[in-house]
Amino acid sequence: MAARFEYRQAQEIAAAFRKHRVRYLFIGKSGAIILGFPDTTQDADLFVEKSPENGRAIVAALQDLGFPLGPDHRAEIERGKDFVQLRNGTYDLDLVFAPDGIETFGEADRRALEIEGMRVCHIDDIIRSKEAAGRVKDLESLPRLKAFRDWWTRRPGP
Amino acid sequence: MDPRIPADWIDDFEAASARTLEERMRYAFIHTYKPVLDDEPYRSFDTMAEYRRWCEEKLPSWLGYGRTV
Repeated sequence: MAARFEYRQAQEIAAAFRKHRVRYLFIGKSGAIILGFPDTTQDADLFVEKSPENGRAIVAALQDLGFPLGPDHRAEIERGKDFVQLRNGTYDLDLVFAPDGIETFGEADRRALEIEGMRVCHIDDIIRSKEAAGRVKDLESLPRLKAFRDWWTRRPGP
Repeated sequence: MDPRIPADWIDDFEAASARTLEERMRYAFIHTYKPVLDDEPYRSFDTMAEYRRWCEEKLPSWLGYGRTV
């Protein structure tokens, strides 16, 4: 079984994705946690742009990170599925090419933030995607996530 | 501060903001075995609708991946 996800691994993802010029954003609760939301989660979710060029870059970066990818898996990621679940690395990673509630990668990327070298979706996009997904576990966390958004957008600057 | 936000939540947000990102991630990321979901090393879905359908049909409901709408 994979180990829990750590800061060092998030930094390694950011470095490998930067090296290969992957267009990506942390999304979901993992993204919210990087923004400062105090909660728990199990895996890291990455919103990745669906394009052949980005797909090839993702494969190269994942191989640098030690994810074993066979030829079929590489071809699928390069082609761009909507959702890929990786449970074959030292930590669990979900690649989301088409998150619910977000029209395009470009729009989310324009609103995104960079925190300690990591590209992260804006909290509004994280909330929008969870609202659109409409899963039980998302709806349970939404009131607190929205309260965090209200606090986060009005908090005093550093 | 917004009176609609429970005071204990604001305390949580402020306490978290005083921690480093590395500390926050140490407290936030956990790992427990999730039946079915963790049983295959790799899965992919052509569409999100296909993924959502798979979650509803294959995963235990208590994992919370089922849709409410």
